[in-house]
Amino acid sequence: MWLVAQFRLQGSKVLAVDLMGDAVKARNGSMVAYSGQMSFKKLSGGGDGLRGMVTRRLTGEQMVVMEVKGQGTCYFADRATEVNLVRLNGETLYVEADNLLCTEATLHTGTSFTGLHGMTSGNGLFTTKVEGQGWAAVMSDGPAIILRVSQGMPLRVDPGAYIAHTGNLNRNFKSGAGFSTFFGEGGGEAVQIEFVGDGLVYVQPSERVTIGGDV
Amino acid sequence: MPFTKLNGKLIEAQVFPGQKVFSQRGAMIAYSGQVTFTPNMMGGQGGVMSMIGRRIANEDTPLMTVEGQGRVMFGHGGHNVHVIDLTGDTLYVEADRLLAFDGTLQQSTMFMGSQGGVMGMVRGQVTGQGLFTTQLTGQGSVAVMAHGGVIELPITPQQPIHVDPQAYVAHRGQVQNKLSSALGWRDMIGRGSGEAFQLELSGHGMVYVQASEEKL
Repeated sequence: MWLVAQFRLQGSKVLAVDLMGDAVKARNGSMVAYSGQMSFKKLSGGGDGLRGMVTRRLTGEQMVVMEVKGQGTCYFADRATEVNLVRLNGETLYVEADNLLCTEATLHTGTSFTGLHGMTSGNGLFTTKVEGQGWAAVMSDGPAIILRVSQGMPLRVDPGAYIAHTGNLNRNFKSGAGFSTFFGEGGGEAVQIEFVGDGLVYVQPSERVTIGGDV
Repeated sequence: MPFTKLNGKLIEAQVFPGQKVFSQRGAMIAYSGQVTFTPNMMGGQGGVMSMIGRRIANEDTPLMTVEGQGRVMFGHGGHNVHVIDLTGDTLYVEADRLLAFDGTLQQSTMFMGSQGGVMGMVRGQVTGQGLFTTQLTGQGSVAVMAHGGVIELPITPQQPIHVDPQAYVAHRGQVQNKLSSALGWRDMIGRGSGEAFQLELSGHGMVYVQASEEKL
């Protein structure tokens, strides 16, 4: 018998996961209710393996994860943010650590280096990488829109509104700062992320506080 | 009479002569018709004992009586509003989550500490829920506030529900609630999963849970 966690949405802000003795990884403290038998265990580090742990430590980036194991239904929610389900079939999902709510145990999580630009955008140096087959739940402040990027059609996103992307995408930080920015007349869009390639980008209708957003 | 939901955060109540509505003071957004708003020193009904209870529990959320003829809109703090229709059963909710309720409902305060003894006291402290809970009984509607949407989870004797105390909004029916702690050595050394305390609700009824761990 297959032991596969079932992910479903209860409303748009609560994730319900049906467990049958298997486990999922979820953001620490995000359980709001459960029925049945559940156990919660904090996982060390963040990403799998020693490498993930070391990188987390180095960067101080913290996504504290707990393992939820048991039989029954567990409900997850965080600060009334919208929950988006993403089904992965072997591809890789890159997601801001703060926006990852829950992943199936079959998925492998790790970190990827974003580049130094991450610092100015407030997104951190590393992004969480989720790979494998299964469900992942991504949070967004307000309902997320999914934008397609294809060859010859690059996409620019406000770093504060970016939450995740899948597919074969290269991302570069672009400065939209012009002459007037230095005189304090900036448009508030000094930094943007440009995506080139083929894939999908998840964008939330809200902006995190970023350094770039102020200039 | 039932409240009409205008959107996720606003409700409208019809007021007729002789039918009161109680609401949290200051929660009126707009009204039409001849409606009066009277502050309620006693915090609704329930007599002196109930008032003392509320004072001790620091749960004296000021209420006002809404009377007259017209339509009144209620909303507060941008919180999501959930309307619960009671049909003779009892709803247990914290006073500060109450936005408005029908005057036909009997209001009283329940001493939560009596349920579960010392653990009940501890629960009140840990969950920030206080020792007293407002109890509404009868036929009518109640509008409760929550951060984020509200989901309803049925409780059956075969299936008790565990709720994060911070996400708990209200419950109704014949329900026992106790604080269960899953404190382990991990929590002692700061490696807890953040789910050390849970409210265990068992019996027959329904629990309302919000999509957030923020108190109002």
